[in-house]
Amino acid sequence: MATLLRPVLRRLCGLPGLQRPAAEMPLRARSDGAGPLYSHHLPTSPLQKGLLAAGSAAMALYNPYRHDMVAVLGETTGHRTLKVLRDQMRRDPEGAQILQERPRISTSTLDLGKLQSLPEGSLGREYLRFLDVNGHCFPYDTRAPTRFVDDEELAYVIQRYREVHDMLHTLLGMPTNILGEIVVKWFEAVQTGLPMCILGAFFGPIRLGAQSLQVLVSELIPWAVQNGRRAPCVLNLYYERRWEQSLRALREELGITAPPMHVQGLA
Amino acid sequence: MAAPGSCALWSYCGRGWSRAMRGCQLLGLRSSWPGDLLSARLLSQEKRAAETHFGFETVSEEEKGGKVYQVFESVAKKYDVMNDMMSLGIHRVWKDLLLWKMHPLPGTQLLDVAGGTGLAWVLGDAEELPFDDDKFDIYTIAFGIRNVTHIDQALQEAHRVLKPGGRFLCLEFSQVNNPLISRLYDLYSFQVIPVLGEVIAGDWKSYQYLVESIRRFPSQEEFKDMIEDAGFHKVTYESLTSGIVAIHSGFKL
Repeated sequence: MATLLRPVLRRLCGLPGLQRPAAEMPLRARSDGAGPLYSHHLPTSPLQKGLLAAGSAAMALYNPYRHDMVAVLGETTGHRTLKVLRDQMRRDPEGAQILQERPRISTSTLDLGKLQSLPEGSLGREYLRFLDVNGHCFPYDTRAPTRFVDDEELAYVIQRYREVHDMLHTLLGMPTNILGEIVVKWFEAVQTGLPMCILGAFFGPIRLGAQSLQVLVSELIPWAVQNGRRAPCVLNLYYERRWEQSLRALREELGITAPPMHVQGLA
Repeated sequence: MAAPGSCALWSYCGRGWSRAMRGCQLLGLRSSWPGDLLSARLLSQEKRAAETHFGFETVSEEEKGGKVYQVFESVAKKYDVMNDMMSLGIHRVWKDLLLWKMHPLPGTQLLDVAGGTGLAWVLGDAEELPFDDDKFDIYTIAFGIRNVTHIDQALQEAHRVLKPGGRFLCLEFSQVNNPLISRLYDLYSFQVIPVLGEVIAGDWKSYQYLVESIRRFPSQEEFKDMIEDAGFHKVTYESLTSGIVAIHSGFKL
């Protein structure tokens, strides 16, 4: 029975790239042989990914303030989808540039002074206003680095998706309260197909009151889905080169319409 | 600090612990050929560049203390919850057994090292305790000695602060004695525990260190020898839960 189990265990518990056939390696494996592919990378076996996915999903539901768990869920369930997203970025000229140049949105890369000086109504100025109104402190903190994606380029793609999230709030005009977050998740689910977005879109509303739920289902979700389907992939936008572009013009370009109502006071 | 002529130097190289050489003039001994200790090169004290393990990583001895400190800073908040989750509450049974063995009486002078917090606590270093010689009836250390950079020094200090007739007791992770259970235990340790650490405490790396540091710690017999080398007598050990942990005991005469 042990001999039958061994290959199964090796598959489940082996690290990506690990070649050694020694029987005990997969069970106690660490990075030897399967070194990290990028800084902060933690190679994990299929079993660990499964456990992480289940655990992070449960913990995120139990404690919605554990944003790190949502990130872990995304990383452990997104491999296939990230490949599709990456390939689709490669086919788009602006997306391909992003993959090439790997821009990051963080305190070190954002010139807050410059954004502040941009005209009203520009993407950069409105983005700053959004951060301000929704209580993000300056200097703006960076999103936690990717750890569980076993491919260096895909690790960047998911990092980019996370860093672009606030841009989506600005584009959609959605605040960062629970209702606003759910609406953005629906948009992202349709746009990216990431399992974490889909799970978040369906399970997020669990904690909502009846009235908010009603508004969500009857107005906001249909609007988000419609816009998500109509807009080209938002990961293909080189936001850093579009700071001066007027937000209205960008919305028109993407086919994003005004939200059906003002969400701020609702949730 | 170490009594000349009675200390032994233990070095870790490759996969096991072995006694290097007797005699304290060999401070700074560094062994670079696994399994070939007799040809180990002697370094003068000025050129001490000793390395040690930190889990499965190799770090300098100077670094290790700081890195261990960071781990415990990180795990402190969820320490009790994590212990319960990882051992399914069994760690409480182990600790109870330690207390049962120790059988403290009113008036017993007890020193518990690496205890975190307690009724009356003192900040100190296990390798250099802030206490006079011959002070305590019982010295205990539970799940602490594994993290000390120089275990032999901690043992010597334990010997020093104990009264003649005093007892040394150590509860620590050890080597599993059953091959099947060992495989299951490895599987659980390496596949599940870091995941638990990440999900519950948001800290994968500290729990990866935990399970690796357990593998680096000497076996029951090796640790028994180390305790004897520190001057203790009547050294015995009892394995619990198939050897996942062991309680070592020794007396100062």
